[in-house]
Amino acid sequence: MYAFKYAKAKSVADAATSIAADPDAKLLAGGQSLIAAMKLRLSQPSALVDLGNIADLRYTRIEGDTLVVGAMSTHAFVAACADVRKAIPALAALAGDIGDRQVRNMGTIGGSIATNDPAADYPAGCVGLGATIITTKRKIAADDFFGSMYETALEPGEIITAVSFPIPKRAAYIKFKNQASRFALVGVFVAETPAGVRVAVTGAGPGVFRVAEMEKALSAKFAPESVANIKVPADNLNADLHAQADYRAHLVTVMAKRAVAKASE
Amino acid sequence: MSHDDFHGRLEDDRMVTGSGTYSLDWDFPQAAHAWFLRADRAHAQIVSIDASAALAHPGVIAVLTGEDLQAAGFKSLPVLTIPTRPDAMKPLLPFRPCLATGKVRMAGEAVVCVIAETQQIAMDATELVSVEYKELPPVVDALDALKPGAPQVHADVPGNLYWDYDDGDQAGTDALFAKAATIVKHDLYNHRVIGNPMEPRCCISEYDAAKEQYFLYSPTQGPRIQAAMVAKVLGVPTDKVDVVAKDTGGGFGIRSAVYPEYCVTLLASKKLGRPVCWNGSRSESFLTDNQARDFICHGELALDDKGKFLSMRFYMVANNGAYLAPTGLLSQTRSVTSCITGVYDVPVAHARIKLVATNTAQVAAYRGAGRPIMSTMLECLVERAAIDLDMDPVEIRRNNLIRKDQFPYAMTNGTTYDCGDFEAVLDDALAAADWKGFEQRRAESAKRGKLRGRALSTYIESTAAGGIPDEAQLRFEADGTLSLFASSHSHGQGHETSFAQVVSRVLGLPMKTIKLRTGEAGMRVGGGGTGGSRSMVSFGSSFFLGAQEVVKKGKELAAKELEAAPADITFDHGEFSIAGTDRRISLQNLIQKHQGTHPHPLDSSSANKYGMTYPNGAHIAEVEIDPETGVTDIISYIAVDDIGNVITHALVEGQMQGGLTQGAGQIFGEHAIYDRESGQLLTGSFMDYPMPRAVLVEGLQIIDHPVPTALNPLGAKGVGEAGCTGALPTLSNAILDALRPVGVKHFDMPATPQRVWQAIQEAKAGRPSAMLSYTLEYA
Ligand SMILES: Cc1cc2nc3c(=O)[nH]c(=O)nc-3n(C[C@H](O)[C@H](O)[C@H](O)COP(=O)(O)OP(=O)(O)OC[C@H]3O[C@@H](n4cnc5c(N)ncnc54)[C@H](O)[C@@H]3O)c2cc1C
Repeated sequence: MYAFKYAKAKSVADAATSIAADPDAKLLAGGQSLIAAMKLRLSQPSALVDLGNIADLRYTRIEGDTLVVGAMSTHAFVAACADVRKAIPALAALAGDIGDRQVRNMGTIGGSIATNDPAADYPAGCVGLGATIITTKRKIAADDFFGSMYETALEPGEIITAVSFPIPKRAAYIKFKNQASRFALVGVFVAETPAGVRVAVTGAGPGVFRVAEMEKALSAKFAPESVANIKVPADNLNADLHAQADYRAHLVTVMAKRAVAKASE
Repeated sequence: MSHDDFHGRLEDDRMVTGSGTYSLDWDFPQAAHAWFLRADRAHAQIVSIDASAALAHPGVIAVLTGEDLQAAGFKSLPVLTIPTRPDAMKPLLPFRPCLATGKVRMAGEAVVCVIAETQQIAMDATELVSVEYKELPPVVDALDALKPGAPQVHADVPGNLYWDYDDGDQAGTDALFAKAATIVKHDLYNHRVIGNPMEPRCCISEYDAAKEQYFLYSPTQGPRIQAAMVAKVLGVPTDKVDVVAKDTGGGFGIRSAVYPEYCVTLLASKKLGRPVCWNGSRSESFLTDNQARDFICHGELALDDKGKFLSMRFYMVANNGAYLAPTGLLSQTRSVTSCITGVYDVPVAHARIKLVATNTAQVAAYRGAGRPIMSTMLECLVERAAIDLDMDPVEIRRNNLIRKDQFPYAMTNGTTYDCGDFEAVLDDALAAADWKGFEQRRAESAKRGKLRGRALSTYIESTAAGGIPDEAQLRFEADGTLSLFASSHSHGQGHETSFAQVVSRVLGLPMKTIKLRTGEAGMRVGGGGTGGSRSMVSFGSSFFLGAQEVVKKGKELAAKELEAAPADITFDHGEFSIAGTDRRISLQNLIQKHQGTHPHPLDSSSANKYGMTYPNGAHIAEVEIDPETGVTDIISYIAVDDIGNVITHALVEGQMQGGLTQGAGQIFGEHAIYDRESGQLLTGSFMDYPMPRAVLVEGLQIIDHPVPTALNPLGAKGVGEAGCTGALPTLSNAILDALRPVGVKHFDMPATPQRVWQAIQEAKAGRPSAMLSYTLEYA
């Protein structure tokens, strides 16, 4: 770690002011990505603006036909929350299977999607459900929010305050874990939403992506066999120590099939 | 012996409440902090080092380079165990400096040490040191390194060959092969792994100028043996070094060694006149701890026309890395070949192992230390024979086992097995595993779309090797407790409990009053450390004999008290009495009578060498593969082991569990991978290096089948590594058994989901041996 300044923000507005004042400062949520990078000296913020004390960023609530999750809601909180378990059990399950207990007790939804790790789970949940990311400046559709690895639509100083999820008719997330990191080697989120069927894939490519062909087939018939023979091209997928691109492509189909089966239970 | 005196481990309260004392828990508020600049490349000439900016950085106290160590008279890091060969060439032992001089030979090699007021400052200043390198091409693969024209790791190791090791009877073996009806050949790669104890490598080093004494607070498996290694580097007598440790957070063999940082910080402490602390990171442990395995193996089995084994021969190429590790070459040579033909009645065999230099971390002893190399080779070869010759995998083994009446069983490589009952062990395993019911279970798995596989493997290993007498001291303290002293340091095994138990059973004293002390400053007891599954066999035996010595001395004291002749005194359940009378005095009473006198008249010690023991077993695993994803689960694992007399089943079970889990860890994913172009370690963190998890071995059943050895008074055989030695072949064979029906002929570990899935795809595409990493020819 390098030396840095530290301040606890009292409110979102306070955080926005502090972060705007110093271009090298960073927001601190659960620290589960940021602190680890700092410890390895891969990240060198001049200052940390801690969002941890802002109580009104930690909530979930049902607003009409959407579920809104405050940015500082930890994974453990989302996993245990009765509203979430009832409205979108797939999202509660997703949060409950992130990392380990310590990570879930610290890591937050805002931090996770701001990081946009290409193997993170929440990006699949957000895109799969057609969520809207609410920030201090605007509302951004999940489809437009996530870029290629570690890139998002966030502008400097912009703070995520909440994520709004349309409540789907049914949904499921199946994650094939990287043996070492337990992040998603391939994770597929499938949902039948008011706006149609969505299939979002994380871990396989440089960022979360949708599979239009699967969405079409599932719109016609929401059943595992509809996707069983749909293969995504391996060309643009990740290839690394843990999985080659053809294996990842194959797993997309298998996980999609299993997610549809689970959503249909 | 009874087992009802086990009520949990004495050390556990401390461990589970977080009040253990690990190396950096020792309190040295005045310590300076060291940080190391490490080679960012695998192979390069050091052109120049400029540390001026670092030295000028506020808070920096000193910077040390290889030249400073040379000036201080530092010797090479030692290479301790080198088996003697009568005729073969001797190993080449290139100089291994504590800080690279002239050249860096592996990524992560320490080049410069910066010492500052805080760790933070030391880290900052390390970034200010500039090293100019002249890049050299690295070689990371052992077969690449042996090719003509390969980059040379050491100028004085021509062709990168440290040693062409040879064991057994080559002429005799060749003669038997000439008579064979069939010769079965098999290749496999036992890939490289990294040990990963929970406590990363670290130390606090202190030099006491008044006493001219070096104190090293570091994780250790044997404080005195480690002190001896440190002393060799510093060029001082062993007595001038104390390795101090209370709790050690895991070791697996890799915490036995001296490491460069220990010696550099000791010198720094001497120069600065204050203690120096090095808080090594996990990344540094990954890069520069002794690594393990990395053997390319080829085996051949000669059979007659009835399926009887005639002989075996092996050729192996061991990637030993950029240096030879201080723990020595035993694990790379004789430990591999000592049980050269396993539990089989094959006295004549031959093995050749080439130890090769590459630009990777040094490879040395790690749980099993060479024995899993041979057990895996051997049992995969026997399994291959059963398949190729269409023989039953149980019968081919049973028909070739050494029979109970053949002991002592001598082989031409110099090994003699003292005892065993291999067939009974095998039968126990078959019975526990419901061997005959397998086809039904396989069919049931198939219904669920799963591939089920099952395999039986045997193993035998040489344990408890030791060159010097292992000493146990028993001292009665003024506070009424009994201190046990030994240089065998627990790094998780539970020595405090098991040695106390051995002594308590002899003396009838309560466990809680017996305290094991192994890593104290000033302690001088002889013997090796913990390693090679030797602690119970050797130190346990010495404590047993030492406790009997107490009884003997007690009889003399009691005789005086009871006014009788010592010969008439008997000892039972903690009481001395005159045979046939009710006149008695308790040991406790005798202890108290002399409490506070030093030495206490009952103080005793024992130091002995004990013979190697040969634990063995038969393991049966059933696995299930999801062919859609390549995920493999262990459904059941039966381990029947003869580890001689069992002193405490719970602790034995712990060791077996740990060993099996570590074996399973390697089989299912642990893998140190170096980039062939750059020589960089690609799996240098837990993000990329998968550790085994508890669920891996859920269906574990551990069954004791003791055949006591007469080679030590406890009748015990080593248990610490047996699980690992058995698990590698058993799981390898079970996985291939599951994959064979879909056409896979060869499968080199690790069985990661990707590799298992790929094996199935390759087999479908007509490439049944695609997952074979290397092939060698016996020569
Ligand atoms: C061992 C381990 C295992 C893990 N396993 C998984 C896994 O299986 N799946 C998975 O998805 N993730 C996993 N993670 C990551 C985890 O989910 C983190 O919680 C997440 O990536 C970051 O969230 P955080 O709250 O900790 O953010 P921090 O680390 O505090 O911040 C991360 C980044 O987000 C920025 N940021 C934080 N909050 C906001 C905000 N409200 N608005 C704008 N920017 C913000 C920060 O400035 C920083 O750049 C794992 C992490 C660890 C350490």
